[in-house]
Amino acid sequence: MASVNSIYGLFADPDAADRGVNALRHAGVAQDQIVVMSSEPHEGHAFSLLDHKTIMPWLAALGGVVGGACGFLLARYTQVAYPEPLITGGMPLVAPFPSAIVTYELTMMGAVITTVVTLLITARLLKWKQPLYDSEISYGKILVGVLGPSGAARTDLENRLRSAGAEKIKTTGQL
Amino acid sequence: MVIDLDRCTGCEACVVACHAENNIATVGEDQAARARAMHWIRVERYYEGEFPNVKTKFMPVPCQQCGAAPCEPVCPTFASYHTIEGLNGQVYNRCIGTRYCANACPYNTRFFNFYNPVWDKPLDLQLNPDVSVRSEGIMEKCTFCVQRIKAGEVQAAAEKRLVKDGEIQPACVQSCPTQAMVFGDLSDPESEASRLARSNRATRLLDELGTFPKVTYLQRGSWHDNENA
Amino acid sequence: MTTKTPEQINEDLLRPLEGTSPRYLAALTFFVLVVLAGAAAFLHQVYAGLGVTGLNRPVFWGFYITDFVFWIGLSHAGTLISAILRLSNATWRRPVTRCAEVITVFALSIGAMFPVVHLGRPWLAFWLFPYPSERGIWPNIRSPLLWDFFAINTYLLGSVTFLVLPILPDMALVRDRTTGWKKKLYHVLSLGWTGTPRQWSRLEMAMRIMAVAVIPVAVSVHSIVSWDFAMAPVPGWHSTIFAPYFVCGAIFSGIAALIIAMALLRKFLHLEDYLLRIHFENLGKLLLVMSLLWFYFVFAERLTTWYGNGSSEMAVFWPTQSGSYAPLFWAMVVCNFVIPFPILAIKKLRTIAGTVVASIGVVIGMWLERFLIIVPSLSHKYLPYSYGSYRPSFTEIIITVATFAGLAMLYMLFSKIIPIISVWELKAGEVTETATAPALARPEQVRAD
Repeated sequence: MASVNSIYGLFADPDAADRGVNALRHAGVAQDQIVVMSSEPHEGHAFSLLDHKTIMPWLAALGGVVGGACGFLLARYTQVAYPEPLITGGMPLVAPFPSAIVTYELTMMGAVITTVVTLLITARLLKWKQPLYDSEISYGKILVGVLGPSGAARTDLENRLRSAGAEKIKTTGQL
Repeated sequence: MVIDLDRCTGCEACVVACHAENNIATVGEDQAARARAMHWIRVERYYEGEFPNVKTKFMPVPCQQCGAAPCEPVCPTFASYHTIEGLNGQVYNRCIGTRYCANACPYNTRFFNFYNPVWDKPLDLQLNPDVSVRSEGIMEKCTFCVQRIKAGEVQAAAEKRLVKDGEIQPACVQSCPTQAMVFGDLSDPESEASRLARSNRATRLLDELGTFPKVTYLQRGSWHDNENA
Repeated sequence: MTTKTPEQINEDLLRPLEGTSPRYLAALTFFVLVVLAGAAAFLHQVYAGLGVTGLNRPVFWGFYITDFVFWIGLSHAGTLISAILRLSNATWRRPVTRCAEVITVFALSIGAMFPVVHLGRPWLAFWLFPYPSERGIWPNIRSPLLWDFFAINTYLLGSVTFLVLPILPDMALVRDRTTGWKKKLYHVLSLGWTGTPRQWSRLEMAMRIMAVAVIPVAVSVHSIVSWDFAMAPVPGWHSTIFAPYFVCGAIFSGIAALIIAMALLRKFLHLEDYLLRIHFENLGKLLLVMSLLWFYFVFAERLTTWYGNGSSEMAVFWPTQSGSYAPLFWAMVVCNFVIPFPILAIKKLRTIAGTVVASIGVVIGMWLERFLIIVPSLSHKYLPYSYGSYRPSFTEIIITVATFAGLAMLYMLFSKIIPIISVWELKAGEVTETATAPALARPEQVRAD
């Protein structure tokens, strides 16, 4: 943790956290340097809108289409893959209804898998070593901070965070 | 196969012959009482009329070798499937014992090995080497003595000729003292079995289910019996 | 709703994770022993053969398939209900969803075991997997059992995901509030959750997609379970009503199981402030609707059979109405309708105790229903010469009982490891949304400064 330079404030009040985020943005901190962390989603607050755009539903739909195609091909191939046709009950080899059922199930499975993988990647999960974290978040605090600020801007940022209503200001790394 | 019910005396010789030919285990009294006996062909008994004017009717029921068999598509492992010759094959090695085929079979002609088979002495000495022995946990059923069909075909091929009608007989047909059963190739319209199957006395068991059974029953009831009667 | 501070919520809901009481250990030991007895019975059955069951010809399916359908049905409690409540933004759902989803995952796992338990050669169950093998043969897609295989796996994957995703923030919460080896464990389990707005919004989106995806999957699963029966030309099975009938029954028994589980959790984990009467009342209303629907389906099914008067159908019909299966049938009607209907319809009786009584009735009744669908049809199938009957053996009974103990055991273990009520969702629900929150400063404005 100590290897990363950062400065952050801990807020108790989500409205104050909102002001903190905007204060940092007004100070000209780039969006990818601003870090916000909370133990609740705080929907309806401005900071909850920070990079909330995602094409996840479209990816899920695409995953569904791929899954369904795999399902149909699997259903088809496994029934015609024999030198002699394996007939059962007088049904056609690629029986429409059973193939549709398998296609459907694998469509849904494709969509589910894509959603999970997209979530893991785009939410940057499965990275256990986070550059910046404070366990006070789990006691209800909201962290608003800057990753890798320039040393010169330190006092300015501290003041901005404090005037927005930060309860505590902390720094990490060589600042 | 054609079975003439008017000729059947209910002697059950077919049942015994089938057991001997196909290495069917005798499950013993206890298990038989628990409805686990395995008779690939059974003689069903039905009673007609009120006492004392009762008539017994016998109906031997082997696997009907359906053309569109309900047992086949429900098997998840292709253990039950349709052979090129039109038989309902049962591949013992593929069977994992879901017993779904037995539930789907309207004729209840499929049997499950609840235990590993045993043969009372000296029955163990007469096991047929042409027929595989089944293990616990799998389904088995009448094969129309497929080993005899194959042997007949091999013999005919060796003699460079076609199989003659009546040359191949399953054990039940062979053992029937009243010759109530006739076995033959239904794809040959001239075979004895085909001829009888066209008889006016012909009915098929549970025909209304659309299973296209390959066993035809002949019985009285038609008022214009033809010369086949 | 209560007005608890977030810190109180944290403490209340994380308390069950802190230690174990002797009573808990005793109960857990008991359930583990019953499960072990069931496992022993199964091993005995594998060793000796399926002859140790009461199955025979023609009743080739008995208790195990009944349990299979019952447990898969029970699994419709959670994911389906929780998905519907999520999508409809029902705020009262918040304390309910996780205990419901847990039922789904465990009941589904237990249910999915039964097709293996009932196999003649269970060690070959993997032949159902579509993989290229040296045997040169693939599974038969035309078999409903294969549909089951695909549907159950999809549903299991979907409902495990549905359960696990909203757990991640709670794992992070526990991680920060514990020390030592527990901290390390939850550190791993949290998958590195920190709670950035990016993570929250992605999680919300993923949950919305999952909720949309899991509802049709849940419906398809029980439809396919019903098609295991409806595909076979067996009197009483071969019916088009089966798929919706089974789905309705599944949700019915699922809600009942959820109410029972919630009542137990409320009592033993002291969650009286979180699982309120209104939750039981709302679920009770749902249960009432399902009870009526169930009755409607049974009536429609019976009416069609009776009016059609087909000889083979009636051979199955009469034994269940007035013959040997009649006591079970009428017990089912009492449990599923006569008891729950008045309790749930009268507001005064729709208390926590009332809904629990009704739910116990429904769980028993739905188990009987599954049994009555399977056994009478098989024992009266077409040719009267082959009629039979069925009596379960000790092995089947012990394995059935063991699965109930298994659910209790898994549930107890789960509630010790993971908060059984979603902490962050509950807190999010407590927040009164303020309209005064300032908008996010736009980048253009930033540059203008």
